Amino acid sequence: MRMLCAISALALTALLPAQEPPAGGRGGRGGPALREFLGLGPPPDAEAAERGAKLFSPNCGFCHGEKANGASGPDLVRSPVVLHDEKGELIVPLLREGRPDKGMPAFAAMTSAQLSDIAQFLHLRVELTANRGTYKTLNVVTGDPKRGEQYFNGAGGCAACHSPTGDLAKIAARYPPDQLQNRFLWPGGGRGAARKVTVELPSGEKVSGTLARIDDFSVDLTDASGVRRSFNRDNGVRVDVEDRLTAHRALLDKYSDADIHDLTAYLVTLK
Amino acid sequence: MNPRTLLFLLPVLAASQGLDPKALRLFQPPADTWPTYNGDYSGRRYSPLAQINAANISSLIPVWTYRIAGVGPQRGVGNPVIKSTPLLVNGVLYFTIPDHVFAVDARRGRLLWQYDWEDHGGHLVGQRGVGMYGNWLYFLGPDGWFISLDAHTGKERWRKKVADEKLQYFTTTSTLVVKNHVLVGVGGDAMDVRGYLESRDPETGELQWRWWSEPEKPGDPGSDTWPNKAAMDHGGGMTWMPGTYDPDLNLLYWGTGNANPVYAGQSRKGANLWTASIVALNADTGKLAWWFQASPHDTHDWDNVETPVLFDATVDGRPRKLLAQAARCGYFFVLDRTDGKNLVSKGFVGVNWSKGVDGKGQPIPDPAKEPQVDGSLINIPGGGGTNWPPPSYNPDTGLFYVNAARGYSIAYLTDTDEQPEGYGGRGGGLITEAVLEALDVKTGNISWSHAYPSGTFGTSFSGILTTAGKLLFTGDPSQNLIAFDPASGKILWHYHLAQNVSNGPSTALLDGRQYLIVGAGDTLYAFAQRGAN
Repeated sequence: MRMLCAISALALTALLPAQEPPAGGRGGRGGPALREFLGLGPPPDAEAAERGAKLFSPNCGFCHGEKANGASGPDLVRSPVVLHDEKGELIVPLLREGRPDKGMPAFAAMTSAQLSDIAQFLHLRVELTANRGTYKTLNVVTGDPKRGEQYFNGAGGCAACHSPTGDLAKIAARYPPDQLQNRFLWPGGGRGAARKVTVELPSGEKVSGTLARIDDFSVDLTDASGVRRSFNRDNGVRVDVEDRLTAHRALLDKYSDADIHDLTAYLVTLK
Repeated sequence: MNPRTLLFLLPVLAASQGLDPKALRLFQPPADTWPTYNGDYSGRRYSPLAQINAANISSLIPVWTYRIAGVGPQRGVGNPVIKSTPLLVNGVLYFTIPDHVFAVDARRGRLLWQYDWEDHGGHLVGQRGVGMYGNWLYFLGPDGWFISLDAHTGKERWRKKVADEKLQYFTTTSTLVVKNHVLVGVGGDAMDVRGYLESRDPETGELQWRWWSEPEKPGDPGSDTWPNKAAMDHGGGMTWMPGTYDPDLNLLYWGTGNANPVYAGQSRKGANLWTASIVALNADTGKLAWWFQASPHDTHDWDNVETPVLFDATVDGRPRKLLAQAARCGYFFVLDRTDGKNLVSKGFVGVNWSKGVDGKGQPIPDPAKEPQVDGSLINIPGGGGTNWPPPSYNPDTGLFYVNAARGYSIAYLTDTDEQPEGYGGRGGGLITEAVLEALDVKTGNISWSHAYPSGTFGTSFSGILTTAGKLLFTGDPSQNLIAFDPASGKILWHYHLAQNVSNGPSTALLDGRQYLIVGAGDTLYAFAQRGAN
């Protein structure tokens, strides 16, 4: 379907911080980059943290919770002592001496290396909490595949353009379920991103190609021979941008969340 | 000394003494001064200057640029981006990026001095500018340092610690000076800290009062909107944008950020006052006069810090003191600023997260649209319906202008623990479209809108300035500075910059010549009419 200068933004910003996304979109702000942005200090030592987890669970978990986020004893992930510590310099002495006045025993029998491993476990817990670049989507396959198939062939109108044995064959082998869900909701970052544009000049000449850039004042396209061409949008120049995602766009105002989850449950069967 | 001599000396005295307190007004700063982040206390970002106007806009040209040199990529954010609105006082522009303050000659674009701060943490996501009191400037390092500088030299006068960056607080706001108070807000979402706003002494930097974004203890007013003290102590509600001020009512109007944990609301059942709200505070005491909550029990990271714009208008034949906000949650609100009573609550983008509004005009959140493990579809982009970049209210048109974001996102819950922490989820963006909207303040209806063909604003978002010259200045997502007709939305003029407009444009008259000042990425631009002076 063609629309006069259709407007389809292709933003795929996966991780949006509170104030505004810093540079980089999807994939551009993984854990390490975000850790630097957050100013979290030296990264935790994963191996030491794994050893520390085994010590933490039997010795500390009962009071502070298995994930250190508090039980009868305080939350240690949001603890100022832990957050001010860099590599055990505050945590290790505290563990060794305990806080007898607050009912916390001293762990004097543990070696410095063991106490340091516990400190690294706590730093890993901070990392997994504060650094949203480390977050993982949980299970999105909660819908009914049969209803999803009905929606695909019926109300959703998906079958008009797509086929489970054609373009979508083995689609579930290509994408994990959460990516699959995001992609059918809005495939704009994939093949849908390449939009055909036709520029009609006042002379009547038409130039077509792949849209490279557009604003209110000019349009750039790459023509069939691979040459990038730029046109001013004044003096009667007409611009038509093809929008192949109109049907996807329209569905976003129609889906119930259950429809989405049913569709996902159906699409993950296409392996 | 006879009176005539005294009169002659006055401008010299004024220059040496810095900012004249009389320049700080509710509406309309002196023509040659831009004395606060928003220019005046109202936050309207409307200038009565009309030398540059719709009839002569084609003669507007850049007269100088100042490009930040020698800073390089900043930790975690890349190249410097000017998000601050420069102050303009006695012919000098004072502006900032994270860790740096610049004083530049407004007539020539020459650097007068530069102040460099070495941070030890905090987020460098932005720095919105300085506050000024007499000859003193007030700057925030990202790591919770409140720093006073001599405006003549850029020399540090003193510094005070106002927030603990190790707890993931950070400080990006422009300070706001009101009487003998410097208002200092804080940011920080990653580790569930408690928001606050401080008033500090402009001479000594000492604390005068602190207002907390949550009640202190069970039984206090507002505590019935939280399950327990621990939830309040970690409830968020950051104050990271400068508010506005009505000198007659002596009330500060401040926006508060989202509740914490950000996307995971299961451990903080209730409305979570006073997060995601507009609060009216007595400027001398910090005492809460009234509040209006834009996103009760927020679970979408919708900080409500967008400028609460003050304006006066006649409604149903009665003159009213009003406040308007285009909120990140997608609603446009108009309130009576004397008591917070609601006149308008209307979505300016999709608002499928709410089931309508309550008797106070506050949105009612739909629990089904909270983030879910398998995702819930929201018809607002991941970053919200707008963000911090300043909007404008134009009394000539009666319209409120905002660069909005239309689109869709899917909100995921990633922390299902009974006691979640941090963000606990995310709002995955699907579509984001940038659109300039003009909203009728009496109805909230969209009078006109302009969708930018290139789509999203992405990483930077432009603020808005309107003037009595029948002009609206803003930036699009394609590096264009554009002048629109504020009545119709027609494009009158544009100029292609090297980067997107990244701050709120400002204007002032110097030596009889009107300047337009715009920040775009690492460069400050000054525009004026060709041939004038």
